[in-house]
Amino acid sequence: MKMKTASAVLSERLLLFLLVAAVAAGCQQVVSIDLNKADPHLVIEGNITDQAGPYTVKLSKTGNYFEPALVFPTVSNALIVVTDDQGQTDTLKEVTSGTYQSSTLKGVAGRTYSLNVIAEGRSYDAISSMPKKIFIDSLYALVRNASRGEPGYDIYISFKDPPEPGNYYRINARSSAAIPADSIDGRRYRVYTDKLTNGNEMAERIRAGRNVQTGDTITVELLSIDRPTYDYFNTLRDVLSSDQAATALAPTNPNTNLSNGSLGYFSAWTIDTKMIIMK
Amino acid sequence: MHRLAFQYSMKLFLISFAVIGLLSSLASTSASAQNIHTFSGSIKNAETGEILIGATILVKELKTVGVSSNAYGFYSLTIPEGKYSFVIQYIGFRTRIDTVLLDKNLTLNFELTPEAIRVGEVVISAERSNKNVTSTEMGVKNLEMHEVSTIPVLLGEKDILKTIQLLPGIVAAGEGSTGFYARGGGVDQNLIMLDEATVYNSSHLLGFLSVFNSDAIKDVKIMTGEIPAEYGGRLSSVLDIRTNDGNMKEYTGTGGIGLLASRLTVGGPIVKDQGSFNISLRRTYADLFLRLSSDTTINRASLYFYDLNAKANYTVGERDRVFISGYFGRDNFDIPNTFGFNWGNETATLRWNHIFADNLFSNTSLIYSNYEYSNNVSAGTSQFTITSGIQDENFKTDFQYFMSSQNTLKFGVNAIYHTFLPGTVTATSGSSFNGITVPNRYALENAAYVSHELEILSGLKINYGLRFSVFTLLGPAQISSYDENGDVIQTTGYKSGQIIKTYTGVEPRIAANLLLDETSSIKASYARTSQYLHLLSNSVTSNPSDLWVPSSNNVKPQYADQVSTGYFRNFGDNEYEGSFELYYKNMQNQIDYKNGADLQLNPNVEALLRYGRGWSYGAEFLLRKRYGAISGWIGYTLSRSEEQFADINNGQPFPARQDRTHDISIVAIYNYSEKWTFSAAWVYNTGNAVTFPSGNYQLEGTRLVPLYTERNGYRMPAYHRLDLSATWTLGPKTNLNFSLYNAYDRMNPYAIYFRRDPNDPNKTQAVQTTFFPIIPSVTYNFTF
Repeated sequence: MKMKTASAVLSERLLLFLLVAAVAAGCQQVVSIDLNKADPHLVIEGNITDQAGPYTVKLSKTGNYFEPALVFPTVSNALIVVTDDQGQTDTLKEVTSGTYQSSTLKGVAGRTYSLNVIAEGRSYDAISSMPKKIFIDSLYALVRNASRGEPGYDIYISFKDPPEPGNYYRINARSSAAIPADSIDGRRYRVYTDKLTNGNEMAERIRAGRNVQTGDTITVELLSIDRPTYDYFNTLRDVLSSDQAATALAPTNPNTNLSNGSLGYFSAWTIDTKMIIMK
Repeated sequence: MHRLAFQYSMKLFLISFAVIGLLSSLASTSASAQNIHTFSGSIKNAETGEILIGATILVKELKTVGVSSNAYGFYSLTIPEGKYSFVIQYIGFRTRIDTVLLDKNLTLNFELTPEAIRVGEVVISAERSNKNVTSTEMGVKNLEMHEVSTIPVLLGEKDILKTIQLLPGIVAAGEGSTGFYARGGGVDQNLIMLDEATVYNSSHLLGFLSVFNSDAIKDVKIMTGEIPAEYGGRLSSVLDIRTNDGNMKEYTGTGGIGLLASRLTVGGPIVKDQGSFNISLRRTYADLFLRLSSDTTINRASLYFYDLNAKANYTVGERDRVFISGYFGRDNFDIPNTFGFNWGNETATLRWNHIFADNLFSNTSLIYSNYEYSNNVSAGTSQFTITSGIQDENFKTDFQYFMSSQNTLKFGVNAIYHTFLPGTVTATSGSSFNGITVPNRYALENAAYVSHELEILSGLKINYGLRFSVFTLLGPAQISSYDENGDVIQTTGYKSGQIIKTYTGVEPRIAANLLLDETSSIKASYARTSQYLHLLSNSVTSNPSDLWVPSSNNVKPQYADQVSTGYFRNFGDNEYEGSFELYYKNMQNQIDYKNGADLQLNPNVEALLRYGRGWSYGAEFLLRKRYGAISGWIGYTLSRSEEQFADINNGQPFPARQDRTHDISIVAIYNYSEKWTFSAAWVYNTGNAVTFPSGNYQLEGTRLVPLYTERNGYRMPAYHRLDLSATWTLGPKTNLNFSLYNAYDRMNPYAIYFRRDPNDPNKTQAVQTTFFPIIPSVTYNFTF
């Protein structure tokens, strides 16, 4: 599982950090760097789920690094078609600028979905398979042992990894009251592979920390994702980690299943949701 | 498996001895045919009995005739009958001139007396060696241990790997890193040998210090250009480190107490003038301070490294000498119930020098080396340990045949049995992790070489040779082949000892020297090198968990071709040595990683690699002063290193991370008085080539994601630093060393990363991390 190898790297980094802290406390400074301004690239974000539609595909463009727009430019008037391997076809409608929605499509686990986007004269394709649905067995919270780190809750999500290898997951956790609203522990892209845990009973811990208070409602989603989606979020997580950016050989854009140089991803996944009220 | 390797080694051994028997009989007959005689022997330090490596003997009457002592202090010279004056020289030692009547084969062992450095002393100029001009060596530099011990380094810990980074053609892989790049080659392209044993990881404390304790070391030689045929297995350089044998005359000790570590060396005779031993120990003590903490997690934590060098040698009769030496080092870092990791090297070398004839010297070595890494993680009830490593069993035998004063032949064979341990996870019961073992890999790396140094005409010397290497990946193994996506197409099982894949390397090595006059020469060389082992690392810093992997059906060997030419010239009666060298190196099958490659514990790690080409060229300038009250050097390198991969950077060449356009180092050592020695080192190099974002985009409504375009399209700010040191001799046996690392407190960037501005979440800012600001330190050194 990625977490394990990540922890090995993490422990080295921690030692490195301790060493650095020991000899060079506070040797960090904000510097000014001149960055090139790349030509705008198209960003596609689309997903199909096993929940009821409509499903959304968003088109936007990249901006300059140091002067990010509050609202990134959107791309309108694109022709977007999603088909599945059973002959369903849906042409998406632009509901607001850059946001396109399906009308008839119904996501079904086990099917493979194809996306075609024609925008500004260029065509982009992607394929994603919706894996078998995996259900959350239980969701529970424990008050964290005060002697270890900051007070708060540890939330555990347990599920059973199926006996056959090659399962990939993404877990999202949200709190009704947490700030920021979409993440209770700052970790946004929580993805797993069963590489080292195949067929096991899984219990993943979410360190909720101070963001969660008694009375909050926590929503946890278990997404079953395909391998390209796992690769995308796994490499996206690397790109977003500042630690990685500091020591990586050469950061690159995440691995995408989209063709023709477009950024973003297209994914079909199943979702199982459970909620818990913190006591 | 081991039996197979052993049988193979024995076979090689027997064959080489048969060849030798033949040659030695030839050698003795040819010598007695005309009135030609051989004088041979060893050159030693008169005070300690330590053999001197690279000491020269010149024959005054025969202008161009001379010889150097080899790595075991042995020399041999065959010249016509006559009465000669031999000039025996070694830097830091009083030159000796002996007149000898050579009317038969003679064994002459010379002892040289160390020269106390005296201020203002005038050395007779004619006695300074011009070996750098007359030898065929190119891109080869020796470091003297007295230089290493005076040149300031981090925290007062003298360190050979830090010091060689001050030579032209060699740059540090990063701030505070023992890793280095030689002429644009990667850190894994350096063969680092301690008493002939390969050291796979040369770093302590994640690279802030090297594993080599300077007190144990006698001689350091780095070869980056013309790599002689006796060395192989790496593309870019050979770092040959030889340890002290121990005092043959009396028991002595040296030691030091520093801020970070303390060290102690003792040595002495086993039997006077026949055998001696030397033991050096070094340990850090940062963890002793952790004990003082009241926090139970901290005071039970450990954070230390130690290393031990031990060596013994014994001379058996006139013609045989045996050496046994070992290195054991370990880094340990552990926080109870959370995680711990440790790593270390072990090497052991058993050597036998045998003089078959006055002009035929041999050394046979059995070498073991081992590197291992382990990482423990405790996460609640789940605990697991990851281990990985590499092991070598190595047999080699080398011969040096001094045919005549114009002819020297070297030849030998080498067989290494490698065991690669890519990783094992041991999990406790009840852990949600499964134990996993990525199967070991086994390989046999064999080589045979021959090289011939001869003087074709007066003033034109060439050294040509050929190394032939064979690398065989052996079973047992499950070997897969992969498609473009890295998915397994097919897996084949191989039985123990079964040959999976064989690669060969034909490696010509040629060097020529045209002597223009006594103080200047033009040299040229060509070398082809092969490398069958590759270090996989997904970080710019060298991590102890970096994996060595063998060439296989999926991973091709790396090959390099290097041509170089140079002008060597000494000034002021050899007081100043100058050289200007140009080189071009082409490297095939360079490795890069697929995006998001997870290198650890991955049985299909070979599917994550991609291959390209690298090349490097440059000009190196060195002016060195080795004699007098002020010594040191000025080095400057102008170079470029680039790489090209089909699916990186749209197939366009990009600067390699080894690329440093300008690299300057100035080192000065000033023996001011009997009491004070001062030294200073200044380095400057162009910033690393790095990849920074060129844009930004939004995902899932809020998250800003950086956009990357060209690979290594940006440069870090330039790196420069001044280190100062002063040694105060308190008495004949003690001194205090004060040093200042980064004396003008330059905030050199270790890394630059980008984050959201804490004061304005809509903005992004660049943050630079600096490892070492100005750092003073003091070390107390003593001898007894």
